[in-house]
Amino acid sequence: MKRQTMYLRMITSSLVRRRSRLLVALLAVAIGATILSGLVTIYYDVPRQLGQEFRSYGANLILVPAGDEPSIDRDTAQRAVDLIPKDEVVGIAPYRYETLKINEQPTVVAGTDLEGVQKASPYWFITGEWPTSSKSVLIGQEVADLIRLTPGSSLTLNGTGAEGQAVSANFTVSGIVQTGGTEEAFVFMALADLEAMMGDSGKLNVVECSISADQDDLDKIVKNISNNVEEVSPRLVKRVTESEGTVLTKLQALVYLVTVVVLLLTMICVATTMMAVVAERRKEIGLKKALGASNKSIVIEFLGEGLFFGALGGLLGSGLGFLFAQVVSMNVFTRAISFQPLLIPVTVVVSIAITGLACLLPVRSATDVDPAIVLRGE
Amino acid sequence: MFWRMISGALFRQKGKMLMIAFTVALGASLATAMLDVMLDVGDKVNQELKTYGANINVMPKGASLLDDLYGVEEGAGVSNQYLKEEELGRIKTIFWAFNIVDFAPYLDANVDVQLHSNAGSVTAASGTSTETSVSSGGSTSSGGSANVASGTAGVELVGTWFSHHLELPTGESLDTGIKNMKSWWDVSGEWPRDDQPTSALVGSILASQKGIDVGDTLTASTQGRQQDFTVVGIFNAGGEEDEQVYVPLLAVQQLTGRAGLVSSVEVSALTTPDNELSRRAAQNPKSLSIKEWETWYCTAYVSAISYQIEEVITDSVAKPIRQVAESEGAILEKTQLLMLLITVLSLVGAALGISNLITASVMERSREIGLLKALGAHNLPISWLVLAEILITAVVGGVAGYFAGIGFAQIIGHSVFGSAIDVKPMVIPLVAVLIFVVTLAGSIPSIRLLLRLRPAEVLHGR
Repeated sequence: MKRQTMYLRMITSSLVRRRSRLLVALLAVAIGATILSGLVTIYYDVPRQLGQEFRSYGANLILVPAGDEPSIDRDTAQRAVDLIPKDEVVGIAPYRYETLKINEQPTVVAGTDLEGVQKASPYWFITGEWPTSSKSVLIGQEVADLIRLTPGSSLTLNGTGAEGQAVSANFTVSGIVQTGGTEEAFVFMALADLEAMMGDSGKLNVVECSISADQDDLDKIVKNISNNVEEVSPRLVKRVTESEGTVLTKLQALVYLVTVVVLLLTMICVATTMMAVVAERRKEIGLKKALGASNKSIVIEFLGEGLFFGALGGLLGSGLGFLFAQVVSMNVFTRAISFQPLLIPVTVVVSIAITGLACLLPVRSATDVDPAIVLRGE
Repeated sequence: MFWRMISGALFRQKGKMLMIAFTVALGASLATAMLDVMLDVGDKVNQELKTYGANINVMPKGASLLDDLYGVEEGAGVSNQYLKEEELGRIKTIFWAFNIVDFAPYLDANVDVQLHSNAGSVTAASGTSTETSVSSGGSTSSGGSANVASGTAGVELVGTWFSHHLELPTGESLDTGIKNMKSWWDVSGEWPRDDQPTSALVGSILASQKGIDVGDTLTASTQGRQQDFTVVGIFNAGGEEDEQVYVPLLAVQQLTGRAGLVSSVEVSALTTPDNELSRRAAQNPKSLSIKEWETWYCTAYVSAISYQIEEVITDSVAKPIRQVAESEGAILEKTQLLMLLITVLSLVGAALGISNLITASVMERSREIGLLKALGAHNLPISWLVLAEILITAVVGGVAGYFAGIGFAQIIGHSVFGSAIDVKPMVIPLVAVLIFVVTLAGSIPSIRLLLRLRPAEVLHGR
């Protein structure tokens, strides 16, 4: 009991009396721990965040009718969509295509879930606004050029309905779509509007799904859907999935390597600082040895201090590191980062290990030397 | 005397000074590596993003609507709207020529295809006979039609460059084509060669529908002309291309009688993310003021590159493919920002680490400084002495660290991107200033602290 009290008193008094050095050492450990926890948090979260970013390339899975069927039933499509894990879905856009006429010129009209399109195809460039009410449509740039329409003008669509009846309806143009692709020749409207016009409902030609998942997960989803929903044939949009895999792997490797290099250098930096702090106490070690302290008790005392620094600095650092990672994530991805509770003990243990190791080396060399030489200086 | 004291201190405290130099070197190498990687990461990631394929589509003026809107592909009003193949080399002569990574022309035709399978035992003999006729020139042959295995109408035959060697007017040469651009295509068999106009690459859906295998022979016919092709590969692109047949451009030009013409060109270019200026310019370049226009024209915006392509290709419309162009911009910006923030973190870490160590090493010299003061030295010379020692050490460490940092940057570049990171000269002054400021920031407060102490107290200890 007495021994322990003495031990504690020695450590606390050495910490209290050398306040400035305490600060230096603590700062060193805290910097190391901050960088450790911050970078590792970012490293874990970046693939997920960047994966989300890659969703701006649009759909990576499309559901098309299986076999020779011209369309999918809406309930069937819903069953297939339900097989995709909810938290991985970024956007789902069902499409029904019909050929109708504007001013007697045939045009492809797509009925869709406009909110779903905004999520699934974020790259669409809209002049004007997305339609908010029924009876308003988006038109492709090419259609707009051809028929000279601007946002706000109205157009009349006519054609043949589902039962062969002649149909006609007026719409307001709310916006013009630019994509650089075939979409520019289409007219887009809410699915309900198109169904009301055609006089039947529940038919879809294709469902575009934007899913935040890697290649393996996507393959699993494809297998799952084709096994369970026979009427639907899921197909991966290879251009998007393959390229995402390639680029994402590179970016992950980049963040990984950068993390390793920064951590390695920072940890060595922390170790040298700790070594400098301990090395200046050679005299104290010599004095203790002259007073009859055993090498073991001296090593234990310094390790105790190291433990204290490591634990405190590690705790401080894991908090600061998370804060930093959060700032990075909010700035870069405007999304909150997920907290990794496991990282706190890891940071603390690594900090303790590094400070312990850094303390041990100079203490060892000091205890090995004859106290008389140490006390005399040089 | 001053220098002797410094060199004395440097040599007598070799261990300690080495440690400071080592830490400074670590910090400097960290700063160099991160700055170099950060400054180059944009170019590197941009290059990686080229795996998504073309981001600009060049089409003849006016013709772009007919096919998409009406399904009109042949006949009046269509035939005269093409781009000239001979002008394609000019794409590599625009202001941003170095940013053009790849481009490939397309000319498509709707053809009837007849398959001569080499696999079947009955048709094997006829297949072989067709093959000999192909290898002996491969020009139009009607002999194959007697041995028809199956016929399909309305197959889209696309002529393109696979890996075409092009001599530029500037004297340079390059190889370009869809082999580089369509990196996600999964080809079983081989890519056709542009100098063998009878080789064909068949889409996987078409192949599985019709039972086409590598080595089979196809006869394509349209408007009374005929041409045999040998299937050298089957590709899976995961898109609508899977229902098409790709052959060298020359073959389609001959088959359709449109020598030297192409219907569209896909261009893959390195671009700068769009901003407000480029969006306005994309709407109407003439709406900009002269200064804005120059800025826009001389920046690698996708709209500026499209505009410059329109300038060199007669009667063309170059449109950015937004799916690729927008997303590239977004990802590029995010990656750069991410690297910037990580760089800032590591710079701050390195700076604090260095200044911390220097503070610690100055503090422990309280006794020496006390002795100097007791001997009657003034504050200023003492400060200079300590500062000079530390700065010399820091310079040595910083130089060593800079080169180590270049090494680290190259390790990152080679293992991640497989190419060297550009060493930017502007990193040198940045690192130098950083080290200098950090060293001063680390030593001056602690020197001042020590000067305030009274020599008797210090020498006595405590």
